[in-house]
Amino acid sequence: MISPIAKTFKSLFLVELLRGLGLTGRYYFKRKFTLRYPEEKTPLSPRFRGLHALRRYPNGEERCIACKLCEAVCPALAITIESEMREDGTRRTTRYDIDLTKCIFCGFCEESCPVDSIVETHIFEYHGEERGDLYMTKDKLLAIGDKYEKEIAERREMDAPYR
Amino acid sequence: MMQSGKRASKLHLITAASLEEIDHWVAKYPADRKQGAVMAALRIVQDQNGGWLSNDLMDAVAEYLGMEPIEVYEVATFYSMYERDPVGRHKICICTNISCMLCGSAEIVRHLEERLGIKLGETTEDGRFTLKEVECLGACVDAPMFQIGRNYYAKLTKEKVDEILDALD
Amino acid sequence: MVNIEINGIPIQARDGAMVIEAADEAGIVIPRFCYHKKLSIAANCRMCLVDVEKAPKPLPACATPVTDGMVVRTRSEKALDAQKGVMEFLLINHPLDCPICDQGGECELQDLAMGFGKDASRYTEARRVVPEKNLGPLIATDMTRCIHCTRCVRFGREIAGIMELGATGRGEHTEIGTYVERTVNSEMSGNVIDLCPVGALTSRPYRYTGRPWENRQSVSIAPHDCVGSNIYIETRRGRLMRVLPQENEAINETWISDRDRFSYTAVQGEARLARPMIKQGEDWKEVDWHTALEYAVEGIRRVREQAGSEQIGALVSPSSTLEELYLAQKLLRALGSDNIDHRLRQTDFRDQDLAPVAPLLGSTLAELEARDAVLLIGSFTRKDQPLAAHRLRKAAVRGAAIMSVSSLAYDFNFDLAAEIVAAPAGMVNELAGIASALLELSGGEAPEGLASLLAPLAISEAHRDIAARLREAEQGSVLLGVQALGQAELSELRALAGVIARESGASLGYLPDGANAVGAWLAGAVPHRRPGGDETGGRDVDNMINDGLRACLLLGVEPEFDTAQPARALATVEAADFVVVMNPFVSETMKTYADVLLPVATWAETAGTYVNVEGAWQRFTAAMEPLGEARPAWKVLRVLGNLFELDGFEQTSTDEVHDEAREAIGEVTPATDSAWRLPAARTVAGEGLQRIAFLPIYGVDGLVRRAAALQATADAPPAAMYLNGALAAELGLSDGESAVARQDNNAVTLPVIIDEGVPDGCVLIPQAIKGVEMLASATGRVSVERA
Repeated sequence: MISPIAKTFKSLFLVELLRGLGLTGRYYFKRKFTLRYPEEKTPLSPRFRGLHALRRYPNGEERCIACKLCEAVCPALAITIESEMREDGTRRTTRYDIDLTKCIFCGFCEESCPVDSIVETHIFEYHGEERGDLYMTKDKLLAIGDKYEKEIAERREMDAPYR
Repeated sequence: MMQSGKRASKLHLITAASLEEIDHWVAKYPADRKQGAVMAALRIVQDQNGGWLSNDLMDAVAEYLGMEPIEVYEVATFYSMYERDPVGRHKICICTNISCMLCGSAEIVRHLEERLGIKLGETTEDGRFTLKEVECLGACVDAPMFQIGRNYYAKLTKEKVDEILDALD
Repeated sequence: MVNIEINGIPIQARDGAMVIEAADEAGIVIPRFCYHKKLSIAANCRMCLVDVEKAPKPLPACATPVTDGMVVRTRSEKALDAQKGVMEFLLINHPLDCPICDQGGECELQDLAMGFGKDASRYTEARRVVPEKNLGPLIATDMTRCIHCTRCVRFGREIAGIMELGATGRGEHTEIGTYVERTVNSEMSGNVIDLCPVGALTSRPYRYTGRPWENRQSVSIAPHDCVGSNIYIETRRGRLMRVLPQENEAINETWISDRDRFSYTAVQGEARLARPMIKQGEDWKEVDWHTALEYAVEGIRRVREQAGSEQIGALVSPSSTLEELYLAQKLLRALGSDNIDHRLRQTDFRDQDLAPVAPLLGSTLAELEARDAVLLIGSFTRKDQPLAAHRLRKAAVRGAAIMSVSSLAYDFNFDLAAEIVAAPAGMVNELAGIASALLELSGGEAPEGLASLLAPLAISEAHRDIAARLREAEQGSVLLGVQALGQAELSELRALAGVIARESGASLGYLPDGANAVGAWLAGAVPHRRPGGDETGGRDVDNMINDGLRACLLLGVEPEFDTAQPARALATVEAADFVVVMNPFVSETMKTYADVLLPVATWAETAGTYVNVEGAWQRFTAAMEPLGEARPAWKVLRVLGNLFELDGFEQTSTDEVHDEAREAIGEVTPATDSAWRLPAARTVAGEGLQRIAFLPIYGVDGLVRRAAALQATADAPPAAMYLNGALAAELGLSDGESAVARQDNNAVTLPVIIDEGVPDGCVLIPQAIKGVEMLASATGRVSVERA
C-alpha cells in the first residue's frame, strides 16, 4: 500500500518516467543483437529442419528406395508414396509427395530414412503463391536436392560426429 | 505344354546289370520303403556312368524307386561323393584335413596341381584326371594320403605321387 | 488329456500334442519359423527351443510331445538364451535389405528379431549369396533371404502335390529350389507366399507396390469357383492391392487358389469400362448414366412392343452375386419373359425339369475329405475347383479311392485308384458299364426306362473295379464335373450317375463352374424355374442362341468366351436388334454387337452373396468404390426396373435384396435321391473327330481372362489342338504343324500338339481362350485337316 504522500511525490517529479527513459538510454548505447534480415542472417544449426529435399547418389541415381518408412512415421500424414518395380528390377517410387501445408517439420522422416534420401535442408525462405505451390512432388523435391546437394552434404558431415 | 498328365519314361537309361544290383539293395527294405535304396542306387548308376550322375539318370533312379526327382536330387547334392558333373577316368580325392595338413598335404596338392595343370575341383582336358579336395578319409596314421578309385595311397611324397600317376593309364 | 504346466500356467493338452500346440491353444507365444499347423513337423529352424524341466538341454517345442506333469518354461534364462542363440545364427546370412523387402512389416523374422535379436552382428565374414530361382510369373524369389524353414517344400509335397521344390545341398550351401530348371506349376502355388516367414518368396504382381501397414483389409468371398473360398481384399486409397486367404476351416482351411489370389490384377486393368456408352450409328459415345439407362429401356421397350416379350432374353454369368441374379430374373420376368439362363456352358437341357433344386455337392467340403471312394465324372477338379481337389487329395493320401471317368487323362496331383478315359460320347457307355456292374453286384433290376441304356453293354474289368470300390465304401460320392455338365450327353450321364449313386449308396453331387451356380439356380436365373423352384417355362441358353433373340441383356457375359457355342452366340447377339451389355470390362468385340455398354462393378466393388457348392450362403461387402463411373450391377438392375415402371424395385441396399431373395427362395432341402428318366435319343450331327472342349483354369470368366500374371503361367494354354500320336499320324499331322479345325461353316487354323492323354477319335481344343472363339460349339464334331 503506497502512502498518498509517496504517490504524490512520484507523480509530481515523474520518477517512473525518468527511470524508464534511463533503461532505454542504457540500451541505446549497448551492442545491438537484432539483425537486418534479409541483408543479415542468423547462423543455422546443421540440424536445422527446413524445406525438404530428395537426394541422389553421386552417380545420379536417386537414393529413395520406396521403403515407405517416412510415410509411416509422419505424424501429420503429410507424405504420400506410391511405388513400383522399375524396369531394371529395383524398388522405386512413382510418386513422392509432401504436403508442406500439413508438415510440422518434426524431422522424423529424415530420421527414419535408411538411405539418407529425404532430408530437411537449411532452406526456410520459400513461399507459395497458390495453395498447390506448397504441395511438393517428387520432381520438385529432387530438384531441390540437386540444387543444394553440396550444402546438404556439408551439413550432414558437420552433424555426423554427434549422431 | 500338354493338357494331360502323361510323361515320358527314362528307365531305359539304367542298364540291366545295374538294375539287378539295385534290386539286391531294394530287397533289403520293406516293399513300401523302396526309397531306402536310393543311396545304393545312385552309387550303382554313378559307377555305370563313368563316375558321375546326369540329371536324366537321377530321374531314372527316382522313377525306379517311386520317388520324386527332387528327392533324389536332394540326396545327390547332400553327399559329396556323388558327382553331378563329368569326372576324369581317375578321380584323385586328396585329403586336406588336419592330420594330412600337418604332414604336408599342401605340398602334395601343389605338386598335383602343377603336374596336372589343373586346380582343385577341376578335370584335365584329356579327361584322365579329376582333382578333388575331400575331408578326412580315416587314414590319418598314414598321412598324407589320397584316394584314387577305390584304392588308398598313403605316406605320399612328390616322388611317390609321380610314380602312382605314371602307373595309371 | 494330459496335464502340463507352461510358464507356471497349468494347461490340459491333448494326448500326443506337441508342446507348441498346447502353448498356442493357451495363447502362450513361442517363437517359430518352420512350424505350421497345417504342415508336417520338420523341427529344423530350432527357434522354438524351450526349457523343459528334467531335460538336460532345451527342446524344440514343435517336436516335443507333451507328457503328464511336464513343466515347460518358454521365457526362462535357458530358453531365452537358446532362442537368442538361434536368432543370431539365422541372422548371420540374412541380408539387411528390409527397406526394399516386400515382406517388411509382416515378416516373422523381422518381428522375432525385434524380440530375440541383437542390435549388431558378431559375424564379420562374407555373407552368402544365393542365385534367384525362376518360380514362374506369380512368385518372386530372393533366395538370399531364405532361412531354410522348408515350409514351401513341405507345402508342395503335402498340400499342393507339387514335388518340384526341394532343399538341395548341405549346410551353408543348402538352397531351396527345383535343382533343374523347372517352373513350379501348381494352381495353389501362391500359398507359399503366405507361408514363407521371410521375404524369400513374395508375390510378383504385388512386388514393390505397397506395405502391409497401409492396406485396408475387407473380408470377401472368392469369385471364381463354387468352393467360395474366404478371402481378404486389401485396398489402399481406393485401389485393390492384393488378395489374401482368410482362415475358414470348413471351406478353404488356410489356403486359396492362385486364381482367387491373382485375378485381382484385372480389377484395375486397362480393359475396364469406366463410363456408360451408347452406340450412335457406327460410333460410340460416352454418356451419363441417366441417358444410357433411358436409351437401354427405350430399346428394350421397342423390341417388346414390336416382337413381344418372348424375344427378350438375358444371359447372366454364374459368377454374378445372388442379388444381381435375383434382380435380373425379376426384371426379365416382370417384363413378361422367362428367358434367362446362367448355364452358359451347358448344351443339354433335355432333363432340366428333373434337375435338383441346385447343383449341390451332396456333402460338405470337409466331408469330402472323409470319403472312402469318390467317382469323378468329367471333372478336372484340380483345375476347376482347386480347393475341392485339395480335399480329394487329402482323402486319396489317406487311402481313399478317387476314381475318374472323363475324356482326358487329367494330370491329378494324387494317384487315382481307377481311371477311364473315353471319348465324350463314349462316356455314357462307360458309366452304363459301371452301373451294370453295380446292378450285377447287388442283384438289382435296372431302373425302369434305363434298361435300354444299360442292356447292350459289355462290362469290363475296369467297370467292375470301380463298381466294387464304390460299393465297398462306407462313404462314397459320385460327382459330375464341369466337363460332364457341358456335354451333349448330360442327361444320360446324370441318369446313370444317379443309378450308380443309388446302387452304391453314395451321394450324388455336382462341381459346377462359376462362383455362384448354386445361387443362380436358387435365385431363379434359369428359364424353367422361379426363385425357390416353382416351374415356369422359358427359353434356355441353347434355344436363345440358336433360335435368336431380338433384345438381349448380357450380365457379365462375353458370348465368344463364356458360352458353349461361341460363334453361334456371337452371331445371335450381332443379329439382335438391341443388346444391353452390363460388364466391368469392354472389348472391341463387345462394341460390334452391343447397343449400350453399362459399366458395372466387379465383385470387389459390390456387396453381395455367393452360395457355394455346399449350399452355404456367404455374404460380403464392397472392399472399395467402383472404378470410374461404374456402379454395382444390382443398382443398375434396380434402376432399370424403376425406369420400366415395374413394381418391386424399391430396394435401397443389398441387404434388402438379399432378404427379399431369401424369402422368395425359402428353405431349400436338397433332394437326397436324383430323379431320372430315359432321355430322348440324341444323335451328334456331323462328321469328324469329337471335340473335347477343355475349360482352362484361367479362362473361366472375364476377370481371370484379363489377369495378366495368370495368363503368363503354364496353365493358360495356347490356342492349339491336342491329338494323340496315333491319330495325328493317321491324319498326317505332326507336332507343331498347323491344321484347320472346321465346325459348321467356321474354321480356325491351330497348331497341333501331340498329347497321349487324349483318347482316340477326339481332338482337344480348349474353350474360352482367344483363337478358338470362332468355332461353333464346344461339343459335337470337328473335322481336322492339314493346313
